[in-house]
Amino acid sequence: MAARSPRGSLSGASDIASDFEDSLKDLQRNDRFAIENLTNIARESTEHAQAISRVLENHIKATAPTRKLPALYVLDSIVKNVGTPYTVYLGRGLYSTFMESYGSNNDPTTRRAMDNLLKTWKEPVPGSMDHRPVFPPDVVRPIESALIRWKTGMLQKQNQPQLQPQGGYRSTATPPQYNGQYAVPPVPVQQNAYNAFGSQQTPQQLAGHAVYHTPTPMQQHYAAPPTSVLHAPIDVQVVKADISSLISRLQTQFAAAPYDTQVQTKLSQILDLQRAVDAKPPFGDSLRQVRDIVAALAAGLPPLPAPTPQPHAPVQWQAPTPTPQWQPPASFPLPYQPQTAASYMQPPPAQSQPLPILTPGALSSLQALLANGQKPSTPQMRTAVPALSSASHTQLNNVQNNVAAAPTANTADLLAALAKSGMFPIMSAPNATPSVPFSASVAAPPASSTASLLQSLQSILPPASQNGTPTMIPAQLVASKPRIPFSAAALKQFRPELVRSLYDEQPNQCSNCGRRFLANDEGRAKKARHLDWHFRTNQRMADPNTGRGQHRSWFVDEMEWIRLTEFDPSTTTADAAIAATTAKKQKGPQDQYVRAPAGVTRNTCSICQEEMRSSYSEELQDWVFMNAAMYNGKIAHATCVEEIKKSSLQSASGAMAAALSGAYAGGRRQRSETPDSALGKRKAEGALAGAGARIKMG
Amino acid sequence: MALPGLSLPGLGLQPASTPAQGNSFAPPIEQVTRTENLPARSEWRFETSFGSPYNLRLLGGHAELFGVELATNQPYDLSGVQGAIFTWQGCQLEITGEAESEYAAEETEYATEWLNLHGMLETLRSERPSDGPRMLVVGSDNTGKSSLIRSVAAWGVKAGRTPTVVNLDPRQGLLAPPSSLSAVTLGSQMEVETGFGIAPTSGPTSMPVKTPLIYHYPYASPTDRPDVYKALATRLALSTTSKLEEDVTAKQSGLMVDTPGSLGLTDGKGNISEILHHLISEFSINVIVSLGPERLTNSLSKRYSTAKGHEEAIPVLRIAKPGGVAERGEPHMKQLRSRQIKQYFFGSANESLNPHSHSIPFDNVVIYGAKPLASATETSSYGAAEEEEDDYDPYTDNPTTTASGSGTSNAFFEKVTPSVAMTASLIAIKFCPANSDESTIRDSAVMGFLYVADVDEGRKKVRFLAPHPQGWGNRALVWGGWPEAVVDLVT
Repeated sequence: MAARSPRGSLSGASDIASDFEDSLKDLQRNDRFAIENLTNIARESTEHAQAISRVLENHIKATAPTRKLPALYVLDSIVKNVGTPYTVYLGRGLYSTFMESYGSNNDPTTRRAMDNLLKTWKEPVPGSMDHRPVFPPDVVRPIESALIRWKTGMLQKQNQPQLQPQGGYRSTATPPQYNGQYAVPPVPVQQNAYNAFGSQQTPQQLAGHAVYHTPTPMQQHYAAPPTSVLHAPIDVQVVKADISSLISRLQTQFAAAPYDTQVQTKLSQILDLQRAVDAKPPFGDSLRQVRDIVAALAAGLPPLPAPTPQPHAPVQWQAPTPTPQWQPPASFPLPYQPQTAASYMQPPPAQSQPLPILTPGALSSLQALLANGQKPSTPQMRTAVPALSSASHTQLNNVQNNVAAAPTANTADLLAALAKSGMFPIMSAPNATPSVPFSASVAAPPASSTASLLQSLQSILPPASQNGTPTMIPAQLVASKPRIPFSAAALKQFRPELVRSLYDEQPNQCSNCGRRFLANDEGRAKKARHLDWHFRTNQRMADPNTGRGQHRSWFVDEMEWIRLTEFDPSTTTADAAIAATTAKKQKGPQDQYVRAPAGVTRNTCSICQEEMRSSYSEELQDWVFMNAAMYNGKIAHATCVEEIKKSSLQSASGAMAAALSGAYAGGRRQRSETPDSALGKRKAEGALAGAGARIKMG
Repeated sequence: MALPGLSLPGLGLQPASTPAQGNSFAPPIEQVTRTENLPARSEWRFETSFGSPYNLRLLGGHAELFGVELATNQPYDLSGVQGAIFTWQGCQLEITGEAESEYAAEETEYATEWLNLHGMLETLRSERPSDGPRMLVVGSDNTGKSSLIRSVAAWGVKAGRTPTVVNLDPRQGLLAPPSSLSAVTLGSQMEVETGFGIAPTSGPTSMPVKTPLIYHYPYASPTDRPDVYKALATRLALSTTSKLEEDVTAKQSGLMVDTPGSLGLTDGKGNISEILHHLISEFSINVIVSLGPERLTNSLSKRYSTAKGHEEAIPVLRIAKPGGVAERGEPHMKQLRSRQIKQYFFGSANESLNPHSHSIPFDNVVIYGAKPLASATETSSYGAAEEEEDDYDPYTDNPTTTASGSGTSNAFFEKVTPSVAMTASLIAIKFCPANSDESTIRDSAVMGFLYVADVDEGRKKVRFLAPHPQGWGNRALVWGGWPEAVVDLVT
């Protein structure tokens, strides 16, 4: 049983967890009594919440598809009736747990039940005083958006059954990103809500909790393409003309507000669309959808002659999704981004020369792009970013600059936009074109090369270095940092990129304390540790035994403070913290020892000439000289060695002190000749601390 | 907001909720919960009293209090705070409780300036990784110096830095009670309610702790004892500089020095305080931010922003005073100090702490009284108190008379016997042994503070309230006349 190993690591929790597991195994159907029973077990053993959560997660994953729903109901019952800490533990793996169950079930009733389940997690527990949703939005949202995307893909498939690839062994499509990798998708949805917020285009969002519930059912409805409706024929040329005019308007807007990511994204989306339309004129429903998108995007713009009310921003964002979209099995394990990356990075085709077949065209242009050294991950790119951003003001017709400007403004935005803008340009091309037979095989190479492009894109984000070390990363977010000269002139201008560097670029937020983390693996790992830390401390604070008798610690003395490296215990791994403290401990001369050479029981310290005696150490099973260190090949008191080292160190810092205090003459004569001799005395005085209050003064 | 003028800070005598919210009809006893929608780049300014609870909750969007971001849906208790919840993106707040004044403001150009200052510091940090920015913030009282430092430090922490903040204003403690000068390197996130967070305790804390280094300056203003102040500043600068030398990332992240308002004043000829010059050289300041009047900025620029001989030029930047800063009257400051002392011993609502009572015979304590201020008017009151205790206990006559006899300018401390005059005041425990010489005692760092709960002169016993159950050994104790006694600490 997979659950055995995690249980093994938590001794004490194993009994309860295995009981729990046994009862869980007996759960075959939606049995209210059994579920309540399991919930009670969970409620009574919150101290083993971690083990129980793990058992439950493993069970949901391992059990037969028909039993997954009852097990999910157990999960639901626990998080709603018990709440924390289970919400924390289960929330972390919720994406994989839920998506796996969803993917392995193809019974529509079960899926509908799961959909309903998910919906309740976005809301507060019924009848509870707590306003917070069952799971925090950043847990539920990725699942929702994955489901929406997947459902959209499903509907597309149903619309074009003749295009169903030979891999028809799968009667139900797998939700996106479910093949083995459970990377939580980036948080484009949050980004949307957020951008809409920043630009104040959606007052209704301000009015209510709308930010929280961005992926509302309304969006779901929208995402489902209106395929069943019959439409009047639409002129391709009219649509193309609309697209062109929209592009020019967007470009004007982009020139006015080069940092507005919404405009950037729209522009890139419409350019993608234009390419797709140029490559293969759509017809029928797909044409209708294209027109709808254009209309939606156009409506989102402040029209040139007269203002009209702004539509709901998320709708604009969602717009590209329902375009003809078809995903071949060859690229299934890949997330959406690669294809998008290709279309996004593609140089713009001139209006007059549409690409003959888009897929090979995308491939060749992608290769050209890669060969051109346009990989944004190269250091040149990073250094060139400021220059590129200024260039983009003048050369707006070149989309290349748009691509370059995007990382300047915000790498996270770019990634989000990539994920969001869909992959239709490449993937829509095979629709009903003669090239279908080989498109499936052609699709693979761009996918693999775009995967590398994606990787290089991600590497713009700070490198995952120093993971778990006590110090924080000094050069986070360097890529997107603007250079601001230290002058009064630079003070007045509002720089949204500074705000972005503090908010959007660290989208992964702790719901407890508001701390933000990067949206990369390192950020996620840090956040996981951080949440663990919150949980541990909250548990300790709630414990009535530790709640009493807390007191403030003494302040530290100068030497200790100087040596102390501040680090964040909430994001540092236990190993690193222990390593740091043991390293510190080892520094203490009192704890150092030297194994006594055979037959030697006495020794004279080579520094203070006092006698040292060996003692037997139970721990080491050997005779040792305690408080001893090797000094010039001889055994000496470790404290004496420390003093000698310190005095040589002090002469250096003493010089600095003298230099520092050069300007200060008054009162100086009252201080001792070496300004920090007091610092040297500290260690010896440390022994005073434990001496107790009733020491007689001498 | 419709009528922000109605609830300006000065007019906020009656507890009034914002008129636009239409809450004026609500019964005064019941807690009024209302929501406030703030557009992007605006702020919610509030001034709350110490007694009545004032809770804020962020319902949507993003918001920060002096650079520290609020978590969504978490309640924050902000009673006894003058502050402004700022939002860059727009937000919705839920407010419970009554404030002395509260209103939404959109004139927030200051925030842009502050954020740009953060951007400039970040630029300096990336361009000179081996020598980070060492910033001194100067200005008169109530110009937002501490808030500026708090914001810039919080943004720095958020950007992954570990800036070191030095507080040189003895009137407000940083992670310590007033009368302390402190330095702390911020290695973890700052806190909304307490600003900088919590100093180490024996138990779990809701936020990672920060470890400060504390020195004791028991006077309200640097000008009260300029010599002592300068000596302590030198000492603090030495420790801080040594720490930055030990820690590369801390050095890159830089230093932020907060100064008391009295140093932001210029004399009649526009000359800058001599102490300020001392601070600039001791901390090797390389960036000066002035929140004060133009005159101060000009004097600073004249002196520092052009290179003179071996000295490098130090850029001087003037930042406007934010519109929301209100005069903090002496009663408010006094309550603030009293709360800081209380929190030192008893902790906050989240982390409650137990102080420990130590009853010690007079013979077993060595208390040095910090000599009163140099100015003549103040001396009389303190002098009288000491006369009294000299009269009471003839045995301590000897040291007292020798100390005062040796001349007032050189002596900072004199040994004193516990007396009723000490009741309810703060005593600093220095790390140095009790019989150290004067300058050692003066420069020694603080191990902790004691509160004199009771002096029983009849039985010759003094009862201290100590933060720690353990004794403090034979260390020097220093009693200063400042901060003022806090009577209601123990009942």
